[in-house]
Formats: sequence, structure tokens, C-alpha cells
Amino acid sequence: MSSLVTARNVSKSFGNVRAVDNVSFDIEKGKIMGLFGPNGAGKTTLLKAVLGLTDCDGSLSVLGLDPFKQRKELMKNICFIADVAVLPGWIKVSQLLDFMESTHPNFSRPRAEDLLSRTKVRKDAKVRELSKGMVTQLHLSIITAIDAKLLVLDEPTLGLDIIFRKEFYSNLLNDYFDGERTILITTHQVEEIENLMTDIMFINDGRILLDSSMEALPQTFTELTTSGENADRARQLGPLWERDVFGKKVMTFEGVDPNKLEGLGEPHTPSVADLFVAKVKGAAA
Amino acid sequence: MITHQLALVRREIWEHRSLYITPAVVGLIMILTLFTAFVFASGYQEIVDLGIVGAQSLAGDLERRAALLAVLVGNTAPFMFAGAILTIFYSLDCLYAERKNKSILFWRSLPITDAETVISKLLTNLIAIPVIAFVVIVITHLVILAMISVFVSIQGGSSMFLIWKSAPLLDVWVGMFLVTILLPVWFSPLIGWFLFVSGWTKRSPLLMAFLPLMLVPTLEYWVLRTHLIWDAIQSRFDQLPLFKGIDPETLFNERELVASADAISLLAYVDIGSFLASPQMWAGVVVCGLFVTAAIYVRRYRDES
Repeated sequence: MSSLVTARNVSKSFGNVRAVDNVSFDIEKGKIMGLFGPNGAGKTTLLKAVLGLTDCDGSLSVLGLDPFKQRKELMKNICFIADVAVLPGWIKVSQLLDFMESTHPNFSRPRAEDLLSRTKVRKDAKVRELSKGMVTQLHLSIITAIDAKLLVLDEPTLGLDIIFRKEFYSNLLNDYFDGERTILITTHQVEEIENLMTDIMFINDGRILLDSSMEALPQTFTELTTSGENADRARQLGPLWERDVFGKKVMTFEGVDPNKLEGLGEPHTPSVADLFVAKVKGAAA
Repeated sequence: MITHQLALVRREIWEHRSLYITPAVVGLIMILTLFTAFVFASGYQEIVDLGIVGAQSLAGDLERRAALLAVLVGNTAPFMFAGAILTIFYSLDCLYAERKNKSILFWRSLPITDAETVISKLLTNLIAIPVIAFVVIVITHLVILAMISVFVSIQGGSSMFLIWKSAPLLDVWVGMFLVTILLPVWFSPLIGWFLFVSGWTKRSPLLMAFLPLMLVPTLEYWVLRTHLIWDAIQSRFDQLPLFKGIDPETLFNERELVASADAISLLAYVDIGSFLASPQMWAGVVVCGLFVTAAIYVRRYRDES
């Protein structure tokens, strides 16, 4: 497998704050990598470094390029949608298509028009006249029409209602993702992309807490619902985190042999959201 | 590179529609004013009739040429004024608005460098604004001359003879084109400064652009007791090396017009040679380059979100 993104000891400080602290990871081709972290964890800074929008220490290579120094070259093969990268309100949809066509070498106008024809976005409308959901549809259509190797999504569905959110991800999978392309995505709505991701990464205080494939999660992490004496025994196995649910104890274990948990309660695989909380709280404890 | 620049400048015109609406409105106002004047003047048919007859029989070719030259050149003054205002407001807005409406990250997600983007905004100032203004000036000239022709014809004069043959159109247009293109080059250090402020300031670009133009020279005078910066700013406004001085003696003898046809010309007073040879002009271009470089640097390295 070839690695699209290679980060080795990447750091970025703002004054005394280390937003990204000595981070190393790889993203391989054809993966959908979910990146999660609490607010202020360094997600956005890391994404910006990957996109060449900010410089950083350490070695970072994206598609074999130095993202900060070779941003123009990189942007031919990378797209991103971020809730902070807003389409300008004054532009007409047709003008946007014209502009993309004349500046982006990998943009296919027929493809974009085809994708847009499935939405309610009119070509003579200005972006400011569209609803937030339609603007996101427009943005995704444009991005999907770019033959890019890596798509970076930073909170792409923030502020959208559930229908647009579902549609966004189904379009993303059906129209954009073809197994050749790679996606790096962050969102707070973890549940919505849980079944979509192939790989997962947690980040907190600028450090990586977890970097795993989704397939490997059940082998590493077990969640146990238990109570009473069993709970005390289970606690001795060193759970990452423990919480109360309807009078029962729910414990999250990392790297504990499932056989040891046998008979102590109901074991199951934790959801990504619970795992995230367990890792973040567990690391803080 | 060139196709990128064309697309980028076109985008600037899409975004800032005032770049063509403003000169169009100025042209329209001048045309309507003239129209009103004609409607008003037609109430005094006899007097005007006499004037036309007088012009036809008494005034010579040169007088008519001089009068029309004055009309055509005089007409462009409001466009120059509007162009200057447009340049100031456009320059101050173009790198500020994209940060304010957060579209900057979208633009930066495309394979276009920050240098290309900032240069396109400079080119909009140096080329797009002057060329649009020039085209509107030409159209306004043609409409105004057509209206005068109709008026002259109604009064019984020969418009072909009195107006179209006498108007030094080509001379005025070539001269005007040179002036509209070269004026922004002369003022380019200010344009560069405005672009830099636009890309750098977090609020009120207008204030941030003009306040230092007052404060820095004042500070210089307090501290150093010199006024070099103020002189440099002032010289932009009173030492434009684009026109030859006009000696009235070569045009008039007592009250008679004695100039030759060659002298009744805008082009004859546009002095490209001294413009290109002016160290001040080139120094200004260098200052503009420095400010534009700073604007590129700020757009590339500053991380605001």
C-alpha cells in the first residue's frame, strides 16, 4: 500500500501552546480516515498543515509533496471542504463553474453540471440566495467533479439538518469515493460516519491517542456492561473508563483478553463515540 | 499563467460590479445633462440659430477643432475622478472582503498561488479599471457627438462638416488611453499600499490606509524635524511628469488663436518620454512592488482562523 500522507514528528506551536505535538501517522491510498478530537485538540491545525495552509516543524509529505512549499501543485490533487471555507455569497453558480473550469486542471464541468442537475441548485442563482444545505450540495458537487486523489473534509455538515447530512454522506460514497480516492474527515457527529470509515485517529492536546483501522477495533477494545461484584472484579482488570448507565456499570477495556471478561457481564464492541470519550477521559485520568 | 490571470481578473469584475457600473453611471449622467441642456436651449431657437450660422461661417476649422477638443477632454475629467475613487475603494476591499466573508479558504483550496491572486488584484487596478473607464469614455464621446450632431442638424447646420470632420477623435482617444493607463502606474505606490492594508488590517481598511499617511509624516517631523515622507506623498500629486507644459503664447496671439492643427491636440501634450525617464515614476513602481510583495506574504503566512 502506498502512503498518501506521511507525517513524522510533526509539531506546530502558537506561542507557548503546542497545538500539534510531535505527531506521526500515515494515511494510505483508498482509505477513509476519520480524525476526532475535542475542540482545541489540534485537528484543524493538523488539517491545515496537511493542506499547506500553515507551516509546521517535522517532516510532512502529502502526495509526495511538501504541502506548504508546493501548495499550488498539491491543490491540483487535493480538495477540501471546511465549514470555515465558505463559498463567496456574491458569485453565481454558473460563474463558479466558469472559474473552476479555467483555473483547475482536473475539474470536469460536465460532471459538475450532471451532479448539480440532481439538486435544486439553479445555475443562475447566487450563492447567497441558496440555503446552507444547497451551498453544501454545490460545494460537494464541485469537489466531486475534481479528479483529486485526496479529499479533506473538516466539519463538512456543520449546521445542516439530518436529511442533508445523510444525503451528503451517501453522495460522498456513491459519487466521490471509488476505492482509488482517499478521504480524511473530521466531524463531531461521529455516529454518522462510523460505518463509512476504514480507519480512525483520535487526537487530544495535540497528541495522537489512537490510530487504528476500524477492523482492528473489536480486537483491541471491549465494552463490558456489568454490576455488583462482577463490577469490582472487572475493575481490577484496569478499565480505561467507567460510566453509569441505568444503574449498571459500563467499562471500556483496551487490550484485555476477552476471555478474562467472560462471565463478568455482557461484552460488546464500543461505539466510536464511547470509545472516543473513554480514550480522552482515560488519558486525562 | 495568462489564462489564470484572465480568469482571476474576470472574477474581480464579477465580484466588484461597481468597476463597470460606476463609469457607466458617470457617462449616463453626462449624456442626460447634455440632453437636458439641449431641451432647454431649444427654447431659444433664434439665438442658437445665429450661433450655429456664426460658427459655420465665421469660425475657422481650428477654432472648431479647439472647441471640440476642449469638450472631449473636459468630458473625461469626471471619469478620472470616478476612477480614482473606484481604485481606492476596490484596492482596500479586494483582500479584506475575502477574509471577512471567509471565502479566502475556498479560494486557497484551488491550485492558485497567493502571488497569482494578489497580482490579479494589482492588474485589476492597473489594467481593468482604466480599460473599462476608457471604453466608457469612448462610448460617451460618440453619444455626445451624435447628440450635438442631431442638434446642429435640427438648427440647419451641417453636422458632418461642423462636428465629425472637426473633432480630433483619434487624437483624443489615443491620448486618453495613454493617460488612463499611465496615471495608475504613477500612483502605483499608493495602490500597493492600499492592497497591503487591505490584506493586512483586521478592521476598517479605509481608516488604516489613510491614518498612517497623516501620522507617519507628523511623527517624522516631530522626531527628525524633516518632512521627506510628506514631500514624497505630495510630489505624487503635483509632479506628474506626463504632460508637457503649455505655453499660451504658442496658442494665442492677443485673443486670436494662432496655433497650428498639430498643437490643437491632446497627444501633443502627453509626454511619454519624460514619464518613462522619470526616476520618481520608477521609484514609485519599486515601492508598489514592495507593498505587493508584503501583501502576498501576509496572505500566505498569516493564519487567522
